[in-house]
Amino acid sequence: MTTTSNETLVNAAVLHWMHDLAAQGIITTDNALNVVEWNHWMVEHTGRRAYEVTGKNLLDLFPELIVRRLDRNYKWALEGQVRVLSQALHGYLIAMPVVSAEHGYAQMQQAVRISPVTHDGQIIGTLTIIEDVTERVAREAELQAQVEARSRLLSSEKLARNEAERANRLKDEFLATISHELRNPLNAILGWSHMLRLGKLTPPNVERAVETIYRNAKSQAQLVSDLLDVSRIISGKLRLDVRQVDLISIVDAAIDSIRPAAEAKSIRLQTMLDPAAGLISGDADRLQQIVWNLLTNAVKFTSKGGRIQVKVQRVDSHVEIVVSDSGVGINKEFLPYVFDRFRQADASITRTQGGLGLGLSIVHQLVDLHGGSVSVNSEGEGKGATFTISLPFVGVVGTQKETEPANAVPSDEIVSLEGLPSLQGLKVLAVDDEADTRELIREVLKECGAEVILSRSAAEALEALEQHKPDILISDLGMPDEDGYSLITKIRALPSERGGHIPAAALTAYARSEDRMRVLRSGFQFHLPKPVDSAELVTVVASLAGRAYKSQADKLQ
Amino acid sequence: MKLTERQSDALSELINIAFARTGAALSELTGHRVVLNPPEVAVYRTEELRPALANFVPGDVASIHQVFAGPVAGDALLLLNYAGAVHLTDLLTDGHKPSVYLDESAREVLTEVGNILLNACLGMFGNLLNVHVTFSVPRLHLETLDELIESITTGKTEMHYALVIYTAFQIRDSSVKGFLVIVLSVDSLDRLIHEVDVWEAQQSQ
Repeated sequence: MTTTSNETLVNAAVLHWMHDLAAQGIITTDNALNVVEWNHWMVEHTGRRAYEVTGKNLLDLFPELIVRRLDRNYKWALEGQVRVLSQALHGYLIAMPVVSAEHGYAQMQQAVRISPVTHDGQIIGTLTIIEDVTERVAREAELQAQVEARSRLLSSEKLARNEAERANRLKDEFLATISHELRNPLNAILGWSHMLRLGKLTPPNVERAVETIYRNAKSQAQLVSDLLDVSRIISGKLRLDVRQVDLISIVDAAIDSIRPAAEAKSIRLQTMLDPAAGLISGDADRLQQIVWNLLTNAVKFTSKGGRIQVKVQRVDSHVEIVVSDSGVGINKEFLPYVFDRFRQADASITRTQGGLGLGLSIVHQLVDLHGGSVSVNSEGEGKGATFTISLPFVGVVGTQKETEPANAVPSDEIVSLEGLPSLQGLKVLAVDDEADTRELIREVLKECGAEVILSRSAAEALEALEQHKPDILISDLGMPDEDGYSLITKIRALPSERGGHIPAAALTAYARSEDRMRVLRSGFQFHLPKPVDSAELVTVVASLAGRAYKSQADKLQ
Repeated sequence: MKLTERQSDALSELINIAFARTGAALSELTGHRVVLNPPEVAVYRTEELRPALANFVPGDVASIHQVFAGPVAGDALLLLNYAGAVHLTDLLTDGHKPSVYLDESAREVLTEVGNILLNACLGMFGNLLNVHVTFSVPRLHLETLDELIESITTGKTEMHYALVIYTAFQIRDSSVKGFLVIVLSVDSLDRLIHEVDVWEAQQSQ
């Protein structure tokens, strides 16, 4: 045997083994595309034996190649070109079942090379190599998904961080504002009370001092009450005391209360209140707060000689309250943020308008709670603003008597203690951990003739109850160690002769209906919101003195 | 060696025919309209190739390289910068999100795209010269420009020229710049330019 023929034999053997062992599909054809070789891999994956396909035309065996216009690649190969068919652009060359269905492909995914076979410079056929890339493609998709998920996570984390930073910044700004707003009235209060203590003021100045202190304290009380409202709204603790109410009388009352402020700035107040529109279901106090907030805002941002218009009208199934003014208006960029908490168009320290920027946010939340909506419109700075509140109309259900009349809006008039009932001969036990409140209660009640015993804690109060046998109990609720609820529970457990039935009123800063309910359930007859209003305190004490506490057992008898 | 303006124009026109075929083939494959910008052609000696390309392909280069043989022989390459290569495969395969690297499937796609483009251009030259060229299997390489230039110049003793064809793929409102580099021996280039002259003369008749 010659070396050459030996080499040929070896080559043929290697080729045979390669064909047999190859992890790819190998098809060779002649230049008429009749199958010459069909390797073991092809048999395994197509189920067609070599003898079944050998000698047959590839395009006849797989007519899908023509349908999918892949036959062109064979034509080009026969012209001398090598062709690459990528999985991503073609999927596969010859349909074969997947080895494992796990990857979600119905067909085996393939990467293919088709090249000419040449001999002595002549193209004598084609060679096709098919690689199963299903698993690789699935793995790549998984990796890609992981990368995407990671980048999504990163960007959402970044978003959350930005949002948190923004919220933090707003809170910082808010803290700066609130300190400023709380300090302003405090300066006046401290300054004037200092002068009062020196005792050198002339009588007209004393009056002015008291007036100023009172006004500033009220404004501070309003700030604190706004803050409490916001915190209740945020924590979802705000409950509405919903009844059928007459909106017109509520709006009227609100207008009356801001009239002095408007008149002081020569602002004209126009009203167009449709009496037929008025009946809605809502919380009278809160509705009044809404209108009052809008009106205060309008007065604040309208300059001297301006105009404020209030309209109440029925629009389909809604009642609209429209408050428009000829004031400074709102910048277009700021419009979307008008109802955001802690936002004021001008956040600079030198801004001309005070306030916490809470009023409109509270309006928004309260209107929401009423199932209504509030919107704002402004043509721009200097062109005024219009706020429109839309509330669901109820229609006439029940009689007018059931509707709640609007409460008198807190006005700046000083209620004199004259004309209040006398508390002569009454012994009142007042419990509060704060010395100032205790002193205030004592002064007010003493003024009306009552004898007042003061206690600093629940324990002290229980002692005083036994010792002094008071007629009336006024107790704070929030106290360290033992609170007012605990105190009243202990007292109510006592027999009548030891004071168990003493009429009692609770003093608390938590002034909403749900607090009121808890207060009454726990054994108090009355609920007095802080800050204490002198006239209310005297009236409540007088009223409590007029009726002794009746226990459940007594009532049943 | 410099091309005359007429030669350069004629060559551009011929390559543009191949580009049109490539664009049509890619459009059919991807279902998106793919257009290759009209080519700009220049000839450099291979030693001048580095400075000529350095301005255009910074960083790693993705190249699809095919060797062709026959009466006219040489190397044909499609060059893309790495980011361009990633972007092009995303555009061609409806990649859901921008990919950051070329996975195996993306490399396959690039290889096929290069294969289509190089086949179209070299096939057109073959027809023009009326010669039969055969091709090697296309291979994708990721390497620096220096490594790339070294790989196409080593082992070549005689002087070679490079036909540098500048273009851009336009797909779905995006554009990916690329180069086609065809490295030819002096003989092959002479023959090609001669045939281009003949073709140009026929066209103007």
